[in-house]
Amino acid sequence: MYAYDQFDHAMVASRNAEFRDQVERRLKGELTEDEFKPLRLMNGLYLQLHAYMLRAAIPYGTLSADQMRRLAHIARRYDKGYGHFTTRQNVQFNWPKLSDTPDILDELAEVEMHAIQTSGNCIRNVTTDQFAGATADEVADPRPYAELLRQWSTFHPEFSFLPRKFKIAITGASADRAAVKWHDIGLVLKQNDAGEVGFEVSVGGGMGRTPVIGKVIRDFLPEKDLLSYMEAILRVYNENGRRDNKYKARIKILVEAMGADEYARQTEAEWDRIKDAPIDVPEEEAARIKAFFAPPPLEVLEETNASVDEFASKNFLFASWLNNNTNKHKVPGYVNVTISLKPHGGIAGDATAEQMELVAALADAYSQSEIRVSHEQNLILPHVPVKDLATIWADLDEAGLGTANVGLITDMIVCPGLDYCALANARSIPIGQAISNRFDDMKRIQDIGPLKIKMSGCINACGHHHAGHIGILGVDRKGEESYQILLGGSGAEDASKGTILGPGFDEHGIVDAVEKVVAVYLGEREEGEEFLGTYRRIGAQPFKEALYGTH
Amino acid sequence: MALINFTGIEAGNWTVLAEDEQPTEGAKVAASVTRIADESEEFFAAVGELGAVVSTETAYADLAPLLNKLSFVAIEFPAFTDGRGFSLAVRLRKDLGFKGEIRAVGPVMPDQAMHLMRSGFDTVDVADERKEAFEACAARFKQFYQSDYRGAVSIAHARHSSDESRKAS
Ligand code: SF4
Repeated sequence: MYAYDQFDHAMVASRNAEFRDQVERRLKGELTEDEFKPLRLMNGLYLQLHAYMLRAAIPYGTLSADQMRRLAHIARRYDKGYGHFTTRQNVQFNWPKLSDTPDILDELAEVEMHAIQTSGNCIRNVTTDQFAGATADEVADPRPYAELLRQWSTFHPEFSFLPRKFKIAITGASADRAAVKWHDIGLVLKQNDAGEVGFEVSVGGGMGRTPVIGKVIRDFLPEKDLLSYMEAILRVYNENGRRDNKYKARIKILVEAMGADEYARQTEAEWDRIKDAPIDVPEEEAARIKAFFAPPPLEVLEETNASVDEFASKNFLFASWLNNNTNKHKVPGYVNVTISLKPHGGIAGDATAEQMELVAALADAYSQSEIRVSHEQNLILPHVPVKDLATIWADLDEAGLGTANVGLITDMIVCPGLDYCALANARSIPIGQAISNRFDDMKRIQDIGPLKIKMSGCINACGHHHAGHIGILGVDRKGEESYQILLGGSGAEDASKGTILGPGFDEHGIVDAVEKVVAVYLGEREEGEEFLGTYRRIGAQPFKEALYGTH
Repeated sequence: MALINFTGIEAGNWTVLAEDEQPTEGAKVAASVTRIADESEEFFAAVGELGAVVSTETAYADLAPLLNKLSFVAIEFPAFTDGRGFSLAVRLRKDLGFKGEIRAVGPVMPDQAMHLMRSGFDTVDVADERKEAFEACAARFKQFYQSDYRGAVSIAHARHSSDESRKAS
């Protein structure tokens, strides 16, 4: 993992001192709420429906065991004993007191964490593959580049007041687990014919009310040129992006208006002028950062373990967990374990202080003290020896963390919705819970197979509903909460936009509707075909008929 | 109003010309880009020093042909959220090689002091009661992760510099 040096520490310390000063001025009434708002937002402090919410950054979703323990401590001391992991691989605390927030930031700084640029119209936390550096299908580890981007984007003099927020995602793997095409900039690591590492660069992806899949503007950008190229893209956007309407201010609208070719042309022209300026880091710096992410020294182990297999043969839930919640590691004898934060009937992405502490302890014991957060709101223990899986699962299961549903219908993304969010039209959390309760039979959901439900409580799409195999969108219909259903979205390498099926349902109707959609799939699927495959083959019509009886 | 001076440049004290107002001989005046583009040689001969007041809407390329007549540029922020002003200052320094004073006017916030300074602004006009906060903000951070077009080097470069003084933070 990356470790701060004196420069990084000084940066965060100065920021925290500044924020403490701002909060004091606010508490004394020297700053009005209007003046304070943009300042607190730059430190991830939102005012929600009932209270402040503090969003701390987990850069590219990587946490150490010590950092996780600190999050547990913060949850216990300053909040109601839990935290919420988000689709941006960040963590949110829903109930901090304003006067405590400077102390919370100092507590975070002690473990090299911060809340910088977790909100506001700036470059946000860079997200990546939760299995980065630990997966078999990877060209290169994306995290060193994400760290380069983190530093470069922090307090950028020119790009801190963009037309709108700006999200960059990067992956090094052929399977896209970071939904890169749905980001303002998407970077895919690749190798050229000469064996050099670089990026495919796409721009203009995004969700919200106008969902757009990003367009590739450069097939191969040499790795050493990453930052200067980002600067060129951002300058074109900062100068030309719309500022008259916040719903048209994202880069996706500009790229659509200009055309991707023209956007590429302007970016390349600007890049030509700046690529020799000292924007990109010296080689020694790239090497320094890469060294922090050197693969852990893992000795090759047996791929299978007799006692693990034996336990699996006797315990259906453990066997399911092995199937669904572990993923192949690049070193034989190891896997990456996904800990589901979607217990049946629970709240997606929430973890209690005790659960965080357990995960930290397991990380110390089995995963090189490393933890990851996925954009699907689960936690990952990377580099876990196969032989220890039965013990780990037993510990997790006892703490309510053993649900074997990763990748299945109940592994949903659910935004906070009307329970917390001031922008919401409808509740999301209880709907997620109701669907999860309806599908709580492990045999049944494994038969249904890979199926991603993603739900947002309003058109802002924090719950990625456009990219769900089944998407659910909460809308306001004459003062009533109503839920629309979308089918056919994907956030993976085959990115696609879901299509709205028809009129919305009430909170009970939507659960039945999901069940009917699943029933159509089960009836129509061909041997070995997953939900998305069936939908793409047969189209929306059979589903529409089942839901609305239209012919 | 108070003037914050980041760079120690000799800050100008100019009057903005009203629409039909003619400059007095040798005066230090500022005018809009459209007016300057339309003015005659006599006008340029008459003024002492000339500056342009530009909005954040201005494309930097439109300033290029006028630049040899300008001693200073005032960039007007309509709102503190309008980040185009930062790119415009960068363009003036980086692409047009402008050496004169660049001043920020409008409702910028103390917490933007470092952004202004590092994008190439020399000065900013602020309300008197914000002067102290501006100065505190401008002094808060010692080093940054980005090189900038004033010649400051990034932390990434400082980390590997042989110049030890750069490494002390
Ligand atoms: S999608 Fe809407 S309701 Fe849900 S968190 Fe985002 S803004 Fe709030």
